[in-house]
Amino acid sequence: MIRFVIRRILFLFPVIIGATLLVYFILDLAPGDAVFALGGDQMSEEELIALRHELGLDRPFIIRYLSYMQGLFTGDLGVSLISGRSVLETYFQRLPMTLRLAFSATMVSVLLSLPLGIYSAVRKGSIQDNIAMLFSMLGLSMPNFWFGLILIIVFSLHLGWFPSSGYTGPISLVLPAFAVGTGLTANLTRMTRSSMLDVLGQDYLRTVRAKGVSERAVVNRHALKNALIPIITIIGTQLSIALGGSILTESVFAIPGVGRLMMDSINQRDAPMILGCVVLTTILTSIILLVVDLLYAMVDPRIKSQYVRRGKTS
Amino acid sequence: MNGNTCNLQSPASKKAQSHWAGVWRQFRKNKGAMAGLIVVLLAILTALTIGFFVDYDEHVIRQNIPMRLQPPSLEHPLGTDELGRDLMVRILYGSRYSLAVGFGSVGIAALIGIALGAFAGFYGGYKEDVVMRLTDIFAAIPGLLLGAVIVASLGASLTNLILALGLASIPQFVRITRASVLTVRDQEYVEASWVIGLTGRKIIFSHILPNCLSPIIVTATLQVAQNIISASAMSFLGLGVPAPDPEWGALLSAGRSYMRTHGYLTLFPGLSIMLIVLALNLLGDGLRDALDPKLKR
Amino acid sequence: MSEKVLSIENLVVHYELEAETVHAVNGISLSIGKEETLGLVGETGAGKTTAALSIMRLIQSPPGAIKSGAVVLNGRDVTGLPIRRMEAIRGKEVAMIFQDPMTSLDPVFTVGDQIAESIALHEKLSKADAMKRAEEILELVGIPRSRALEYPHQFSGGMKQRVVIAIALSCNPSLLIADEPTTALDVTIQAQVLELMKELKNKYQTAMLMITHDLGVVSEICDNVAVMYAGRIVEVGSAKDIFLHTAHPYTEGLFNSLPNINARVESLKPIPGLMPNPAELPPGCAFAPRCSYAGERCHTSKPVPRELESGHIVECLAYDDPSFQIVRRWGNG
Repeated sequence: MIRFVIRRILFLFPVIIGATLLVYFILDLAPGDAVFALGGDQMSEEELIALRHELGLDRPFIIRYLSYMQGLFTGDLGVSLISGRSVLETYFQRLPMTLRLAFSATMVSVLLSLPLGIYSAVRKGSIQDNIAMLFSMLGLSMPNFWFGLILIIVFSLHLGWFPSSGYTGPISLVLPAFAVGTGLTANLTRMTRSSMLDVLGQDYLRTVRAKGVSERAVVNRHALKNALIPIITIIGTQLSIALGGSILTESVFAIPGVGRLMMDSINQRDAPMILGCVVLTTILTSIILLVVDLLYAMVDPRIKSQYVRRGKTS
Repeated sequence: MNGNTCNLQSPASKKAQSHWAGVWRQFRKNKGAMAGLIVVLLAILTALTIGFFVDYDEHVIRQNIPMRLQPPSLEHPLGTDELGRDLMVRILYGSRYSLAVGFGSVGIAALIGIALGAFAGFYGGYKEDVVMRLTDIFAAIPGLLLGAVIVASLGASLTNLILALGLASIPQFVRITRASVLTVRDQEYVEASWVIGLTGRKIIFSHILPNCLSPIIVTATLQVAQNIISASAMSFLGLGVPAPDPEWGALLSAGRSYMRTHGYLTLFPGLSIMLIVLALNLLGDGLRDALDPKLKR
Repeated sequence: MSEKVLSIENLVVHYELEAETVHAVNGISLSIGKEETLGLVGETGAGKTTAALSIMRLIQSPPGAIKSGAVVLNGRDVTGLPIRRMEAIRGKEVAMIFQDPMTSLDPVFTVGDQIAESIALHEKLSKADAMKRAEEILELVGIPRSRALEYPHQFSGGMKQRVVIAIALSCNPSLLIADEPTTALDVTIQAQVLELMKELKNKYQTAMLMITHDLGVVSEICDNVAVMYAGRIVEVGSAKDIFLHTAHPYTEGLFNSLPNINARVESLKPIPGLMPNPAELPPGCAFAPRCSYAGERCHTSKPVPRELESGHIVECLAYDDPSFQIVRRWGNG
């Protein structure tokens, strides 16, 4: 098992290195470089060259990339062109807010979807099932950020129950968590339902029923435990979707997290900050998916023993 | 889940015809999917013909300040925007952008993704490893962020938006194609093709891909829906179609300043997005059920 | 033969689908006495499994439904029992072994847990005590008790079937239903599992309903035999009756399609044709279309049970002619 964990962690490095290269390359394609963000339009040609040299922008692409990678592994992602503050520090200062939002949204989704999905699967074809499926289809088809706007119109502008923007305390996270959570719920409910249906059709439940186990326990104990295994992966994926989507949610609700930070950086053409935000968020989501993978292996006895055995022999 | 669908279809082309007839028969029974199909076709029709009915300069972008922010009325069924332009005309015209981005980006992604996925799945070995690891790298960057970076770097325009979302959707197609090809590759009729001396490329195009179409079609349909949402999100953030073009996300962005007093500016563009995305999702689900009876519940 | 563990009377089970009604079981009657083993024989699709599941009330419903008849288990009809009462009977009074051991164990529970679950439920034992009993039973079926903590995927097919047998016998049921328990196993393992079942059955004094299409299994283990065809029991009698005084043409066909070790020169003589679609049964005798003895009347009127000798009942119109005799290819008694 430990070997498996180590192997999966080692697998992360080429992905991070490759993803960084990709983003670095794309940002390098931009016509104007960083000096313009520093007010380069007003400088003379000589000043520009001097500034480029000072920032190291006149070096070949590959050298610049390698020095950036070196920085990444030593915890130095450069400084913001606008504020002059460390990119890494700024990012981690903003991160807790984004994480809180992503976790709340995922929480909303899990708490709503699991009971709904299970119920729908057990009562497949009933009116309740059809209604649940209809709503999850609508939720799936709705842009989250638009739903956020509608929530703001109804619950803060008209009813005044929640603040419409900014962060004044946990109450500010309620609407954004629901805006993102609704989309996730729609998806997770469908997944839970289909996973449950899969399991409910399995032969081994007949064996369980033949033992005299009550239908309730057949569903809640046996079927659910089997169905949860694939669902865990989906929950992890949702957390990473919520993180990746923070750029949108935080713009709608003016929440000062990393998404907002990235959007501001894009508007201010703050290249090091954009790069840092994307690279760090990518690393973060990759780690979450890795943890989910490991969790999956731990929950499913079939996979677990496979790796335990492999670990012993190899 | 989608990967094992291929072996259901017959490799013979004569049978393939009756296969598609059967799929259509199955599909027709699904009311939701039929409704979805009709809405999608209507939307495409609107996008293709709206240019004949309204003049872009005259009706879509010309400002008419005295008529600004009129609530819905008989003359302007969905009201007017902050510059006095009819919202319904702008929304109808906006379907061109949404559909162009949705289908265009998926077209790019499908072209590249299917080629890479078929290559990886068919040849296997180190070739497969290289393609799949590159795909992992691509997929590791959250789609919206990748799109944002591409547009931030190349500038906000319709073309760049299509390109950005297209590139971000490639991994989906690589993965689904490879998975399907893997299930078909080792079947006997493919081995038989080797035996009679067909080249690898010929086998891929005439014997493998036709039998992997079902999951790819379903993925493509759902991805168009996803990319229409993403496109509106990018435009909302100012990273998509720039003003004054009436892309739906851009309409939402403009309406935002008037949320308190003129909620309809936020409501209607969003409903439009939802309608077309819902139709595509229903269509995709219906196709999945019709193409793969095994998955039907 | 005095006290019956199970007696089924006129059981009718249908699957009501949208397009058609499948007549799976069409009025069967049979009974099993204490410690007796009844073999239920027939081709795939004859309705054997449906009959067995009806005894447990495990027919999937919808679309399945017990339309009429009675299933009397230890003196009480279970067809109308509330589901709670039925759950108390399942696993306790009647237990079942399923055909495919590969899919009949829950993959995410240890085998010990799965055996103990039944014990804890019916014997009102604590979890720890139930687990201890489970380990003892595991040893009884020939699996070391240390393996109780392992998961099903760590066992081979034969071992899994032993676990399923352990689950079934864990609460000492008075009736054990075995639905083709050896069909999915390797031939060498089949004999072992069969031997084990025989041994445990004697030890626990359990009555058994053995569903099979393998006449070898029947001769090995059964006291009585019922032959099922298209949802009807066409012949029932003691093993001796069936094997030595075969009466029904279908039963004869089953024997004739077996390879005969004593007469290798002869080729097999399979029954021609296929079993009729249970959604569209013929108006007369269901076997008539495939029967070489069938007369005109067989295609139009349904045969009724006829007792040839005490306990040997056959459902065949040909016996209206007192001189009728079938011709067994070999060993004609």
